[in-house]
Amino acid sequence: MFDYDAERLRALITEVSRSNLSPDTWTWLSENLSSDDSRQINTAFAVMPRKTGKSVIQISKDLISKVDHVKPGFTVENWTMDKLGRLCLLLHLNPSDQEKYIKTIENLFLAAEVSELVALYSSLPVLAWPDCWKLRCAEGIRSNIGLVLEAIMYHNPYPEKYLDEKAWNQLILKAFFTDKDIIQIPGIDERANAELALTLTDYAHERWAAKRKINPFLWRFASKFLDEGLIHDLQKVLFEGSLREKQAAALTLVQSGSASASELLKSYPELMDAIKNNELTWASLAQDEEKI
Amino acid sequence: MCCSHSFEDRRPQVPSEAMDLEIINGMKFFDPHVHMSSRTTDDYQAMADAGVVALIEPAFWLGQPRTGIDSFRDYYSSLVGWERFRSSQFGIKHYCTIGLNSREANNEKLATEVMEILPLFIYKEGVVGIGEIGFDDQTAAEEKYYRLQLELAKEAGLPVQVHTPHRDKKRGTQRSMDIAIEHGIDPYMVIIDHNNEETVKEVLDRGFWAAFTIYPFTKMGNERMVELARQYGPERIMINSAADWGISDPLAIPKTAALMKLRGISDEDIRLITYSNAITAFAQSGQIDENDFTSPKSIDQSEKFEGNTVLRGGQQPRTDKSSMIIS
Repeated sequence: MFDYDAERLRALITEVSRSNLSPDTWTWLSENLSSDDSRQINTAFAVMPRKTGKSVIQISKDLISKVDHVKPGFTVENWTMDKLGRLCLLLHLNPSDQEKYIKTIENLFLAAEVSELVALYSSLPVLAWPDCWKLRCAEGIRSNIGLVLEAIMYHNPYPEKYLDEKAWNQLILKAFFTDKDIIQIPGIDERANAELALTLTDYAHERWAAKRKINPFLWRFASKFLDEGLIHDLQKVLFEGSLREKQAAALTLVQSGSASASELLKSYPELMDAIKNNELTWASLAQDEEKI
Repeated sequence: MCCSHSFEDRRPQVPSEAMDLEIINGMKFFDPHVHMSSRTTDDYQAMADAGVVALIEPAFWLGQPRTGIDSFRDYYSSLVGWERFRSSQFGIKHYCTIGLNSREANNEKLATEVMEILPLFIYKEGVVGIGEIGFDDQTAAEEKYYRLQLELAKEAGLPVQVHTPHRDKKRGTQRSMDIAIEHGIDPYMVIIDHNNEETVKEVLDRGFWAAFTIYPFTKMGNERMVELARQYGPERIMINSAADWGISDPLAIPKTAALMKLRGISDEDIRLITYSNAITAFAQSGQIDENDFTSPKSIDQSEKFEGNTVLRGGQQPRTDKSSMIIS
């Protein structure tokens, strides 16, 4: 039913919720947990911020690591209280009747406003019947609302683990098209694939043709799939790109481990040295000149 | 809910007063009734430029009848979702009221289904009332669903935004108020909309809020509004544009404020009529925090879209409309 110790997580989240709420509000929330009545669940879910407020929760480092231990990659750090309350409610739904459980949550998705969508998508990795949420997750990636996309993309272990290749590739493409912070997406190296590398390279060429800038993280997805054409592209970046772009090209070439890549890099000893000394990593790229 | 005018309603052009919004520079406006779903992004930009900082989009009909419950669900969901997001991109805080409009109350089968899904939406964040509800043809079905929704508003502690009918307006307005009082609703929780010179006195005397819709040809013109402001003062009076897919004007509030100023209404009275009164009335929902649209620093996390914080003036990139080049 669950792909992790759900009982343990429920206990932890319940504890964090209780400690962040006034006694009255906690009483209200606890009375609404484990309800079987869909109207009560719907109302409690929708009315959450009116009851709990929207302040950022207080949670100890210890509890954060306990949560991460129970469900690796999942975190409630910096969550607001309404979001946590909604998670708490979801974790208390009875999952034993699979059809009913899924229908209840699907109905919440159908009527959800933005904060509710964020809470729901952020909770995907800890819901029961994880295989059943693949289409829902893929649907979320079609959203045009930034916060919803971020809820699915950032620090969310669900997509990496459950999305098929097509949906995963859509997520990455969407992240580039909407200027997301790629480094916050778990699994980008693990789930790199040839199809994605090809699509992203086409996208880069399209951007060049339109004289638009390219997010240099794009090259990272191609590092395991370098062919002659890509080597040529990276050569072009090393030759005429900004510092940030050159650094990304160099990292891609090093990550590829290919012979022609090492050959090309010989002309850029300072970038090579920086990578060797661990001074240059994907996390330490120079700032985007336009954003300085 | 406007746009029921026929083309014969159009008056010949009156001599025009050159538009000068300079004199209201720095003023903030709150439009408590505007159907943004039927407006363009150009309108959002123009409204933000003219000082509109927040608005309320009441649920209404779509110009043609819906044929199934999912259309209602998707519409309500767009009011709290996509449209709110679109508005935020122009730096305008978007609230809404949710309800079953009077015209579609006449489709009883559908109306029953709508009543079932309303509780899913009325408790959502930024839903500041039940609306717009009330009478259109004044049928028995309209009355039934008006009453049911008044009960819902009472249960949820939400203000009610009442649409008054175009036809038989005076009696329709009286009846709307009678029924609200019969249901034990405090008149201070009820905004009676689309008033005119004939209805306003009784609405105010009975303790309700009186809203005026500045809408060309069919509702109030703003010169008449200036006279009403002079006669009744600012207490419990607000104006709105009710702009929709008809010939309407999303700048109705800033324009009326400018005209009031030109004709000697005090700044304080203008502020009450074009901004504060609407906030006072709808903030009874507990869902309006004025800081959300007055101080750019206190913008909460839910307004961060596409990774950008929404800043005053809107962060949607502007295109140069005077240029032939599109890049």
